[in-house]
Amino acid sequence: MSSAESSFLASIKPSTPAGAAEPALLSEIDASTRAPVFFFLCCGLFWLLLGTAFALVASIKLHNPGFLGQAEWLTFGNIRTAHLTSVIYGWATNAAFAVAFWIMARLCRTKLRHVGVLGIAAFFWNLGVAIGIGGILRGDSTSIEWLEIPAYASPLLFCAYALVGVWAVVAFRFRAPGHVYVSQWYILAALFWFPWLYSIAQIMLIFAPARGAVQPLVNWWFAHNVLGLWFTPIGVASIYYFMPKVLGKPIHSYYLSALGFWSLALFYNWAGVHHLIGGPEPAWVISAGVVASLLMVIPVVTTGINHHLTMIGSFSRLKDSPTLRFMVFGGMSYTLVSLIGSAMAVRSFNEITHFTHFTVAHAHHGLYAFFTMVMFGAIYYMMPRLTGREWPSATLISVHFWACAVGITIYVVGLSLGGLIQGWEMIATTTDPQTHEVALRFPLFIDIVRDMIPYMVSRSVAGILITIGHLAFAAHFAWMLLQPRVAAGAQPARLSPDSAAPRTPAYE
Amino acid sequence: MNKGPLLFLGIFLTLAFSWTGIVLTNHLTLGQIGTYVDAESGTAFPRAVPGLARQGKIVYQQLGCIYCHSQQVRRPGFGTDDLRGWGERQSVPRDYVQQERLLLGTMRTGPDLMNVGSRAMNADWHFKHLLDPQITSLGSIMPPFGFLFETRKIAGQPSPQAIQGLPLRYAAAPGYEVVPTHRAEALVAYLLSLKHEFDYPESIPVNTAGGKK
Amino acid sequence: MGYGAYIFVVVMAAAVMASAVYALYWAVKTGQFQQFEKGATAIFNDEEPLGQPTDHFPQKPKKP
Repeated sequence: MSSAESSFLASIKPSTPAGAAEPALLSEIDASTRAPVFFFLCCGLFWLLLGTAFALVASIKLHNPGFLGQAEWLTFGNIRTAHLTSVIYGWATNAAFAVAFWIMARLCRTKLRHVGVLGIAAFFWNLGVAIGIGGILRGDSTSIEWLEIPAYASPLLFCAYALVGVWAVVAFRFRAPGHVYVSQWYILAALFWFPWLYSIAQIMLIFAPARGAVQPLVNWWFAHNVLGLWFTPIGVASIYYFMPKVLGKPIHSYYLSALGFWSLALFYNWAGVHHLIGGPEPAWVISAGVVASLLMVIPVVTTGINHHLTMIGSFSRLKDSPTLRFMVFGGMSYTLVSLIGSAMAVRSFNEITHFTHFTVAHAHHGLYAFFTMVMFGAIYYMMPRLTGREWPSATLISVHFWACAVGITIYVVGLSLGGLIQGWEMIATTTDPQTHEVALRFPLFIDIVRDMIPYMVSRSVAGILITIGHLAFAAHFAWMLLQPRVAAGAQPARLSPDSAAPRTPAYE
Repeated sequence: MNKGPLLFLGIFLTLAFSWTGIVLTNHLTLGQIGTYVDAESGTAFPRAVPGLARQGKIVYQQLGCIYCHSQQVRRPGFGTDDLRGWGERQSVPRDYVQQERLLLGTMRTGPDLMNVGSRAMNADWHFKHLLDPQITSLGSIMPPFGFLFETRKIAGQPSPQAIQGLPLRYAAAPGYEVVPTHRAEALVAYLLSLKHEFDYPESIPVNTAGGKK
Repeated sequence: MGYGAYIFVVVMAAAVMASAVYALYWAVKTGQFQQFEKGATAIFNDEEPLGQPTDHFPQKPKKP
């Protein structure tokens, strides 16, 4: 007891000399992360299913406004917000924690110490999310985009996150000697950036609100960076780790990965204010945001080249690796969604797409087609190694992949098209040849609303497909846990496809 | 790159860059803007929001109106906000200095509401529209807010607040009346309070030479 | 309000740029980029060696 305690204290004391950690076997490292990573994943999966249900209700309400219209807690403004909070802070963040720690521990080459701390953090994080979503449904939403969680839950979330961040630093500090891989840079940066963004936004928007037009700047500095400096780094770090791992060959160019990291770090955090183009903000800030958004082409193209050129010559592997399938879908989506994002920051294009469903499609393109798909891929890789069990069904994996891939494609294409039409109808004008008077081509707003209905329906269809995919995934996940463990000394088949026996017993 | 502290320094500096640029600088400059006192009338603009409307803003936040309605007008020439009658001038930072929480919004599934109080719709229209948007705007996809109203038995005199002239589908049974709750009244008071008509020196439309003042 | 804050932000921006340039100079000078590409293989070891694919659909062992 006392020795364990003193080593815990030693872990958190800055003066303890670092770098003396013992290298461990990958199987031992995986085992050391099992409890917290598994807990994060289960919570994430729960929020994913709940968030999907919220999403479906919200989506149907946008073409059948009377659907479930009697109860206040189910009104569109609440249910849509509950969806966002549950998938962002519930699913995506839990999954990111799980994947980040699993990769981090492996790359630090040593066992994760005192995982109980992570367990506590995970418990309080999910408690905070639960209180937050409950609060939103009972009408306590702050109505600040991406920060809707009421003020009474946010300190809990901040403390839990900070604990996770500190534990990543501790894990990093006591790593075994060796190279610090690019995925570690991304993970450390993301875990450091998010608490900074979150605390500043909470203080300047909720606890001590800044005056007037400063608030939207803080709001979008935060909200865009949740995507750019939290989810994107974790997603990119995962691709940088899993893609070469699955293929058994290193990334195409390590130089490009360094360039991609530093340019992302430098440019992305300025880009968020492009959400305020045309708004009541100083022109210089908006212009800086537009410039940064365009400069984002550099890290995106760099990372894209790196990922896609790594894949060249290995496309046949897509057929037999579930992880690679999800990763490649995610990686391609990342390139595409980021280039579209840069285009959306150009004022003339923004004039059309701003305030329309195009932005909604874009957000889902980034968070689902890129980030969520990458997380799915990572989970397919991690779970057999964490639990010592094989995924029971290849069919369910295929159902999951195709339902989600087709679903999100319909979603993004349908809603982007709808958004473009909406944006065009909103600003289209005609000029009278005689009087030169400028008039609206669609003067009645309700006409534009009616024209959007088919696209709203296409979203619900996409939503049903995605729901099917998620149910397949959740059922498969549960089924896997009911399977017997693979006997000692052996490995699940997909871990060692060749007869070449692993050097060590992987699972006790 | 195997030097942890150096890595951290870079990670810190990159976010510090935008934090100083976007957050701190604007807090020190833009955040100092105050109200504007009109020399003629001696009134400070924008005016403070009256009490009931202030409560209505809370209802607006609770119901998540912001996710479909923006409160910002783009300048004439960029978009068509002026032609749609959403405001004759663009919104400027000073319009918001009295608001503790800004509800700028980023989505226009429904129309902009920056100046909804200046438009032709009166309280009666808003009540009907909130009860069910189909009454006033057939084909709308705005959700009905029936829970902001109650059907009461008429005891003695009919309530002066009762909504008159409802279509048959929505009208109460004989002897009953549909009355907005306090929250509905607050919300409508808030909507009617939304008007930013005063022209500040900095709000003269930028693409009309000289402005209209 | 005033120009003080703008001067401040310009100075800060210049400082950030200068430190970025210096960081690059330092990195090249101290040999941070030597054998840089070798870092990409850091994820492989004896247990999961370079050249061995690792992920497969269940019940479908891969033919080498």
